[in-house]
Amino acid sequence: MANYGMAFDYKLCINCHACEVACKEENGIDLGAKNHRLWIQEETKVSGDFWNLDRDKVEFMQMQCQECQDAPCMAACPNGAIYRDNNGIVRLHKDLCDLTRACMSACPYNARYVDEKNHVTDKCIFCADTRLARGETTTACQITCPAKLRYFGNLDDPESEISKVLSSRKHFTLKPEKKTKPKLFYLE
Amino acid sequence: MCYNTHMNIIETSRRKFLQGSVSLCIYATSALSSPWQTTKTSNKKTTDTPYLCNMCRNKCAGYARVENGLITKLNPNHNFPKSRNMLCPKGNAGIQAIYDEDRLKYPLIRIGNRGDGQYKRATWDEAYEYIKEKLVKIIDEQKDNRSTIAYCNGEGFNKDEYIKFFGSKLGSANFLDEGSICLNTKLGATQLTIGDVGEMDVAGSDYMIISGANRYESLITPDSVDMIHSKQKLVVLDPRCTVTAIKADEYLPLYPGTDLAFCLSMMYIAFKEELYDKKYVNEQFDDFEKLKAHILSQKYTPEWAESKTHIPSQKIEKITREFFAASNPLYYLGRRSVWSQNDFQLRRAMVLINALAGSVNRKGGIIFGQPIKLNDEEINEPLYNNAEGRFDLDGIVYGSQKGGSWLNFREKVVSKTAPYPVKAMFIRKHNLMQNMPNIAKTKKMLEMMDLVVVLDTMPSDTAMMADVILPECTYLEREDMVVSFNRLEPSLALRNQVIESLYESRSMQDILKGLGKKLSVPLFHVSAKYDEDLQDSIKEDGLHKAFVEGGYDMAELYGYNTTQRNKRLITKQFGKEVYNSLKEKGVWYPYMDEQKELFNDFYEYYPPEKRFYTIDKKYRVNAYLKKLEKAGFDAMPTWHKYYDFNLHEDEFRVITGRYVTTTQSATANNVMLKDFEKENYLWINNNNAKRLGIKTGDSVVVMSSVSSIVIKANPTNKIAPNVLWIPHGFGIDSQEMTNAYAKGASDNMIIEDKFEKIYGCATMHETNVTLRKL
Repeated sequence: MANYGMAFDYKLCINCHACEVACKEENGIDLGAKNHRLWIQEETKVSGDFWNLDRDKVEFMQMQCQECQDAPCMAACPNGAIYRDNNGIVRLHKDLCDLTRACMSACPYNARYVDEKNHVTDKCIFCADTRLARGETTTACQITCPAKLRYFGNLDDPESEISKVLSSRKHFTLKPEKKTKPKLFYLE
Repeated sequence: MCYNTHMNIIETSRRKFLQGSVSLCIYATSALSSPWQTTKTSNKKTTDTPYLCNMCRNKCAGYARVENGLITKLNPNHNFPKSRNMLCPKGNAGIQAIYDEDRLKYPLIRIGNRGDGQYKRATWDEAYEYIKEKLVKIIDEQKDNRSTIAYCNGEGFNKDEYIKFFGSKLGSANFLDEGSICLNTKLGATQLTIGDVGEMDVAGSDYMIISGANRYESLITPDSVDMIHSKQKLVVLDPRCTVTAIKADEYLPLYPGTDLAFCLSMMYIAFKEELYDKKYVNEQFDDFEKLKAHILSQKYTPEWAESKTHIPSQKIEKITREFFAASNPLYYLGRRSVWSQNDFQLRRAMVLINALAGSVNRKGGIIFGQPIKLNDEEINEPLYNNAEGRFDLDGIVYGSQKGGSWLNFREKVVSKTAPYPVKAMFIRKHNLMQNMPNIAKTKKMLEMMDLVVVLDTMPSDTAMMADVILPECTYLEREDMVVSFNRLEPSLALRNQVIESLYESRSMQDILKGLGKKLSVPLFHVSAKYDEDLQDSIKEDGLHKAFVEGGYDMAELYGYNTTQRNKRLITKQFGKEVYNSLKEKGVWYPYMDEQKELFNDFYEYYPPEKRFYTIDKKYRVNAYLKKLEKAGFDAMPTWHKYYDFNLHEDEFRVITGRYVTTTQSATANNVMLKDFEKENYLWINNNNAKRLGIKTGDSVVVMSSVSSIVIKANPTNKIAPNVLWIPHGFGIDSQEMTNAYAKGASDNMIIEDKFEKIYGCATMHETNVTLRKL
């Protein structure tokens, strides 16, 4: 029993793609750029003329399921296939999914894709059925990251590293106007 | 990944162009509809095997997860000071290298023309026998001049052992490695200026300048990781706005090949304003006054440097003052290919700037440190009276006595100006057909050989030129000899074997053992025919004794396997505990028990007071190199008119580099990494592109004096005007590399084969080209 979340020290990202490959290998995600549980989004390009470039607004943002506390995908699924597991992670009853894609339309973060191998929609589940199921305490993306910018842990445990980081540093969530209350946080 | 360990072997061609002949790869049929899949790890606990990565030169440490005999995941190993508990995208994609369908699986003997990919499957013995017959004939014809056989190896691991076999045992002087198409000028400049190649303490530096080295897209451990976590001020000079430049505190865009002007001006300002560390200079410098007088008299003012580099003079002054005011400044020497004729003096200028700041043999500078010395395994080396010396350093001032000069070697072979003919080549993990400028000339060189043998894991463009292909197993299928790493936080690391080798592939050691057993006696008899000293000892001692005591058994090192050799070597020198640590954790260093987590699985390895920042060592800073003066070159860093970046409006300068997901051409076929970059795109300045009517994705023809390529364009504001960037590692010509074949274009097709004369290094950034929309 835990309430898992993730915090990103996002300014440290160098967009090396290690997290993306680690995720695919760990979780058996199909090859192909469209199939991904997580990706890095380059916010704002370098602007201006070569000799006077403006680089300041360039950020590499870690994108994946935001583990909303009020998850629009869950409400949208006509089959009731989406549920929250004991660790607070939004999961899918695969046998109930018949690819209506309602969850994909409902997600404000574009976090879901169609897993064509299993004929379901898929998204990041914090390696719940691989690493966490084995009793490990890290996700594939967190442990491989050269910047160690991903803090993963139990938000309900005040002693966890993620809780301490969130209590000591300013942070924000994506699209707060959607009132989804994400459990993924971006550290300032 | 593909899991076809049980396969039907079908001896047929798989592509139309090979119809009627036997294809190179006798391939596996698969029950899977799509063989290249990732496989989800299970929810079962496993005991993972510590290994060392081989996807690039770094050798990071990892743990391999194995389920039902198959590798399902690679994870970082937190014990290794060098790699800091991380694996990069390439390290993670190593699984795809092991289970690559296109891998070389069996020994192959060529039946068609060189380069057309027609081979027949052979047994190991047949392959060895083929090599033996050719070699005996060649060495006999060359009257026992063993140097008629050139050999090369582009991989750090196992290189010395490879040299022991072909150099010490077989007796050839002609070893070549990647140094002369990589960083030999940097190593040489450091060695000659401060007496040691040293190591850069990135983590300890509070102010770092980088010229051109793209540390966030060409990852080096621990440097890249330390840069991310360090609070230092980072200044980046680059004709291309790389990710490293984007992340820098200051980015100074400049013209290619003009970094030396910036360095000269830094020195000028340091002398003029007396910013340098006077105490250090007094104690360590030789010829300081000569250097000072030279730099000042040449008037390398910031205004002068602005005219060469396009960096504003005030910026140069500001950076210089900040650098010399910092506590632990570091001018990062780079670790990449050589750019231009001034490269040796450019690297030397960087070393001198560090020295002027006192940043040598101290925290945050170039440190000497204390690497762990490993005992050598001694072998009995035969003497060959008729073996001639190497010729590739003729005309080179210094040069590496170990790895030589590729371009000078190739030129002398192709133009038949070498003092004796080179008739055979043994090539290991060195993709000659992609890795050096002017590919047509490399092809010509290989076509001149009577025998080309390639040891590799993939059917590379170079393998396609071989007479015999010997399939080596990949890094996860073998144990390698223990290796010592680093100087500041030294450690030992061991590549343990994770799975049995697939197909009929063998480790290098096993391949050399087989070759040694096959070749030793026949080649000994050739020597006995020509070598008078050997004839004498045969007369005195008899054939058997002369063979054994003369050291002619080429397989001498391989009486024991690698696991046994490691155990013996490590236990004898360091004791059982160290050996056990290497087997169980993959790593050993003295403070492992004290290793402490700083945050979020990021560790401190050596306690700060135990790191070798400063050691007791006598050395001088050589500002003036007399040998260079005598040879007619600059003894001190100097600018020459022909270094100027001065192009016609329709001319472009080609520069190279790579994507974060590629390691030269070695990862070209990796299906996972191909997901990120299927082909390479030519970066061209957006204003240049606009003028030429070139839009994103347009195919353009790029023409140099050597050849031309067709490549898709990426117009961008992130590259200097009249400069083109071609990411390396694409345009693979081998049709057996099915994911890589004909995707994008190869930079080395059009880069002119020029080399500088101090170290004989290929100058990669001196080719001017024209281009047009296709």
